[in-house]
Order: sequence, then C-alpha cells, then structure tokens
Amino acid sequence: MSISMSPTTLRRLIVISLVMLWEALPRAGVIPELFLPSLSSTIAAGWNEAGEYGHALAVTLYEVAISMVFACGGGILAGAIVGSLPRPRVLIMPMISSIYAVPLVILYPVFTVWLGIGSESKIAFAAIYGFLPTMLSVAAGIQTIDPQLVLAARSMGATLSQRLVRVIIPAAIPTVLSGLRVGGALVIVGVVVSEMLISSAGIGYLISRYRTILDSPHVFAGVLLVLAMAIAFNAAIKWIERKASIWRTGTHAGRSATDDIPAAMQPAT
Amino acid sequence: MAGTLGVKAARIAIVVTMFAVWEMLSRTGIVNPRLLPSASDTLATLWELLQRASVRNDLAVTASEVLTAFVLAVPCGALIGFAIAENRYFAEVVKPLLFFAFSIPKSIFLPMFILVFGVGFSQKVGFGFFSTIFIVIMSTTTAVESVKVDYLTVARSYGATPLQTAFRVYLPSMLPVLLEALRISMIFNLTGVILAEMYASRDGIGHQIATWGENFQMKQLLAGVLMIAVIAMTFNELVRSVETRCSHWRT
Amino acid sequence: MQPLANITPLKPASRAGAIQASHVGQIFKTSTQDVVALSDVSLEVKPGRFVVLVGPSGCGKSTLLMMMAGLRQQTSGTILINDAPIPQPDPNRVGVVFQEPSLFPWLTAEENVEFPLALRGVAKSERRAKAQDALKLVGLEGFGRRHPHELSGGMKQRVSIARGMVQDPPVLLMDEPFAALDEQTRMTMGDELLRIWAATGKTVMFVTHSLTEAVYLADEVLVMSARPGRIVDHLTISLPRPRTYEMLSGDTFGTLRDRIWRHIRKSA
Repeated sequence: MSISMSPTTLRRLIVISLVMLWEALPRAGVIPELFLPSLSSTIAAGWNEAGEYGHALAVTLYEVAISMVFACGGGILAGAIVGSLPRPRVLIMPMISSIYAVPLVILYPVFTVWLGIGSESKIAFAAIYGFLPTMLSVAAGIQTIDPQLVLAARSMGATLSQRLVRVIIPAAIPTVLSGLRVGGALVIVGVVVSEMLISSAGIGYLISRYRTILDSPHVFAGVLLVLAMAIAFNAAIKWIERKASIWRTGTHAGRSATDDIPAAMQPAT
Repeated sequence: MAGTLGVKAARIAIVVTMFAVWEMLSRTGIVNPRLLPSASDTLATLWELLQRASVRNDLAVTASEVLTAFVLAVPCGALIGFAIAENRYFAEVVKPLLFFAFSIPKSIFLPMFILVFGVGFSQKVGFGFFSTIFIVIMSTTTAVESVKVDYLTVARSYGATPLQTAFRVYLPSMLPVLLEALRISMIFNLTGVILAEMYASRDGIGHQIATWGENFQMKQLLAGVLMIAVIAMTFNELVRSVETRCSHWRT
Repeated sequence: MQPLANITPLKPASRAGAIQASHVGQIFKTSTQDVVALSDVSLEVKPGRFVVLVGPSGCGKSTLLMMMAGLRQQTSGTILINDAPIPQPDPNRVGVVFQEPSLFPWLTAEENVEFPLALRGVAKSERRAKAQDALKLVGLEGFGRRHPHELSGGMKQRVSIARGMVQDPPVLLMDEPFAALDEQTRMTMGDELLRIWAATGKTVMFVTHSLTEAVYLADEVLVMSARPGRIVDHLTISLPRPRTYEMLSGDTFGTLRDRIWRHIRKSA
C-alpha cells in the first residue's frame, strides 16, 4: 500500500478520531444518547457519583484480590506440580482442558445458592474461573524449562531440593508471570460478571443497576472504570515481566511472554 | 496401545469416583441434600428435563443464537484476519488495537448491547458475535502466518497459480489450525451467548438456569449445569478428534 | 582473552585421576523391547592422559560418559574413578562438560562458575576467588559480570569448562563439547582445551564423533562400534605435542584417521 504515514501514527489518529466521534456523534444526535452517551457526559456521571463508584470499586478490588490469591496461587502451584510430574500430567491435563470448553458462568447460580449474594459467592466463582486456565498455562510452561539445565545441576551434585530451588523455580519465573497474567485477567472477568449477574455491591452491580433505569452515562462510567482496572493490571504485569526479562532466556529463547497469546488462554469474555 | 488404554481407564475411574463421592456426601447428609441433591437425583432430573418441551425449546433457542452468531462472526473475522496476515501495513496499524481489545473483559459491554438491542434474539446474537469475532481474527491470522514461507516459495518456483497455491498449500497446511480456531471460537461464542441469556433474556437455556438458581431449585439447576457441561465437552471432544485426524503430519 | 603465555595454571600438574571400566554393560528397558546400548566395555585411562572416545552416532559413547559421571548406573560391570565407584555425581572427583553449555541464564558468568561451590555452601569470598581463577584459566578474565546471553557460543562453552574445573577435580569428562559450535570456533576451542589441559595436567575423557578432532586432541583414541557399543580399537597417537595445524595435513595424521574410519565404517 502506498500510504506514507507510519502505522503508529495512523493508529493514533484512528484512536483519537474515535474518541472525538464518541463525543461528537451523541451530541449531534446522530447516535441516541441511550445507545452511546457522549464522552463528556460519561465522565461527568462518574465524577458526580465518585463516592459511589469509589466504594463499589473498593468492593470489587477486594473480591479480585482474594480471588487472585486462590486462583493464581493455587493455579501456579497446581500447574507446577502437575507440569513437572509426567504421570499426573498425562492423566489430568486433557481432562482439565476439556472442562475449559464449558461456559463456567453456569456455575455461578450454584454458588449464589450456597454462599449467598455477597462477596463469598463471587470470590468462589472467580477463583475457580481463574484457577483452571492458570493451571493449564503454568503446566504447559513448566515443560518448556530446558532439561539440560537440570542435568547440568545434577552433574554438579545438586540435591533434589537444590535443583528445585536453584534451578527449576528461577527457570519457571517467566511461566509463573504468564500464569499470573492469565489468572488475574480472568479473575477480573469472573468478579465483574458475577457482580453483574447477581449482587448487592461492586462495580458490576452498579453497572447493572444503572442499566435497568436506562441511565447510559452512568453505565458507561462504570464500564470505563472496569476497563481502567483491567488495563492497570495488564500494565503492572507487563512492567514486572520487563523487569524479570533476564530470566526469559531460560525457556523460550528471548521471545517476549506478552507477544505470545496462546488463544486458549485468553479471557473468554 | 496398552499405555493409552490404561490412562483412559484411569480417567474414567476418576470421574466415577467423583460421582461416587458426590452421591455419598449428599445421601449421608454430610452436605445438606437441599443444597446438594445427590448425583442420582440430579441425573434423574436431567433425564426428566430432557423430556420437557420447555427445556427442549430453550435449548433450541440457545442453539439458534449460537449458530447465528457463529455464522456471522466467522466469515467477518476470517476476512479481517486474512487481511492482517497478508498486508503488513494493515497488520501494524491494527494488531496493537486487537491485542488491546483482546486483553479487556468483553462481558462488561453486555449492558450496552441491551441498551441498543433491548432484550431478545438480536441482543444475544450481537453479544455472541462480539465475543467471538476477536478470537476468529487472531486465529485466522495465526493460521495464515503458520503456513511456512518455504512451502509457498516451493509452490511459486514450480509455477503454481494463486488458486492452486490456495488449495494445495494454504488449505491443507492450515486445516488443523483452522479446526482448532473454530473449536476455540465456538467456546467463546457459547460462553458469550449463555452469559447474555443469564443476564437478561426471556428464553434460552442460560436464562432457565438463572431462573432455577433464583428459585432455589437445586435439582434442576445442577441438572442443567451438568447438561450444558456434557453438551459443551462432547462437542469439544468431537472437533478435537477430527483435528487430531487431520494433523497427524504436524510436528 | 589472554594470550597463551600469560595464563597461570590453576594448580601445577598434580591432581590427576585414573578411570577404569571393567566389563561395563548397559541395557535400556523400553515398553516394547530391551535395547543393549553397551556390551562388555573395558577401558583404562591413566592419570594425566587425554583420551578420546570416538564412534558412530548412537553407539553409546555418551551413555558411557554419563555412567562415568555418576549420572546413570550401569546394568553390569564396574566403573572406578580414582579406585572408587561413582554411584552419584561427585564434582570433587569428576567435572562434566556437556554439548550444551547449559549456563543458568539468570546468573552471571562468574556466578555460573561458582554454582557448584555455592551448592556446597562455600563462603562467598572463597567462591569468588576460585571462580576468578577458573575464568582466567579459560581465558575469560574480565568477562565474569556478563550474562550468558551476552556471550558467544564459544565463550559460553568456556564458562562451562571453567565451571567443570572450579572444584579442581582430577578427572574431566567432556561429551562432544564443541559439537554445537561452528568449525572455526571448534578449531580454536580445541587448541584452548589443550592449553588448559597442559596447564592443569588433569585426566580428560573426551567424546566426539569427529575423527579429526579425535586424532588432533588425543594421547590415545578408543574407537567404539555401533550399537551395541564395544571398544573395537585402541590407538596411541604418536604425534608430538604441542599439536599444530600443520600436522593435520601430514601423513601420520592421515594414517591414524583412516584407521579409525575403517573401523567405524566396518562396524556401522
């Protein structure tokens, strides 16, 4: 193509014009405010109810944090164990990836019956939602650790625990970070979705409530808040991954963990 | 081979054990049977549900939404994905935007679909489409890029026309990847549609499950969950077996 | 990198060990059949000798080396290093260098060399000093702070050799250490290795499938047959030391190499 603009510039132009259209089209009445409130009214809505949004954000963040401990912590541990032992891995992994085909949202009503509509049900649901893909991702990643490194350690007389602590764990760090990224993103999805479905607090609940009264600006303000949360999380993980980049060459020779998006590992919705 | 047979048997044993534990927990009252109906009760309810016209109707509605969304999303996504793979410039402009779109939770846009479409068929299909199209785009791009340049160079050096290259090099090379892409896209699609149904809908199996949950009808709820799980996993495994058959030559 | 004359040896040629293998056999059991990798292998390496084991691919030479390193147990026969068996790796007795340098990417070069000492809980200052000596020996003084990804293939392999030698073991086992390097680097590394060997006087058992490398480096060459591996010939390399490239085109070299090749071709 003979366009002489650099791709980055074009992309930025596209984004900027989209933002401007977001403001202009609803104001001009081309798109009804109900469908797409202008950017300014969205921000105004969020600003006016900042306290309410802040409180909801706190609830959501709390649920996300706790769920992450279970989902990421558990997923990384389980993935590491299953990934390093050939027999359990061959046995269990295909079963786990089969479960991945099931829309796990259908479990949420079960949790609301068992645990009520408060934070517990959301944490339980989001923890499971994030656990499975994390475990899959970490188990797969563990297998990419260069076995020669372990052999070299053995030849130097390293005991089992020395091999684990001084070789396997450091070599697994890129994998672990990747698992954190996957698990965390999915935990956020899980928490917000469950809040939207049945809840009494949290950002998802707020979004739903405003939707039922057709208050688009407030709905969109909530959506923006969730997006901001997701972006912040992603950026934080990328920062950590960059800092830890020296370790990357222990597995996929130099390839960035964020460049790979194994399709099966990404947020379902 | 003896190895895989033993593994399959072990897996079946694990599943059977889980059902047995479930049954035991409920029947002995360790877990309140009202909260956790026994496995046998659930299976019996499942059987009964499958006979019910309303449930069958719900399943049909969901299936039609899923298929419609799929039929719409796949060609659109494939076209865009193909364009990205073939055109460097387009790719460089669009890929970061796509990665971004991919990394944000799309379920939060569900209320928007309701504001625009109201509650009904188009809302659910729309959201299903939205959930699926991104993964289709990415998978198509990956699939096209996965065709090794070497193969294409060989074809070209023997004078293959674009059509011949498409059918004799691209297609066989991409087939396993495409199948996998379709399978994963379907998973995303199903998840999106069911979520939309659970959130705001008048029919569909997702809505029914949400209703059973609201009314504390645990037997039906668990039966419904089991039903969807089995359907989803069966479909998944079917496509996977076709995939394996087609990809025996892959390294 | 240091020129030849300025290298201080780690220690004067005093630490050298003997390798003895008697009637060693190795059978691998797979789910379908038993594979006889090695069949009745006996050899002896006197202290301070540089012995090369050469043979076709799959003949079991690497397996034999693994057993000498204590990484694998033989199914029959005995292996003695310095008159004692070696049931598990013993870096005090045996240093191992593999084809892949296998340096830990998150450690610097000198931290990699220190690794065996760190495993043993040796104090930091002592570790550092020994690692520095080892790096100097392999000609990498001043490169200690680099990470593996900043080093070339040949340099990485040198670090790997330094690591194998940091505990001053009497025996050094090397499993095709230069196979992954390009030909020119291989030739340079071969000379480097001979220099290091001359400076330290260790016993070296070197595995390769390159006939030229075998004749160029060795005091003695042991030729193995194809699987099941057996020693089919034992040559003494009568070329004077230090070895030079001119010898490569000489008659003696050619004769020796031909002899090895004839054995390998016959048994393959």
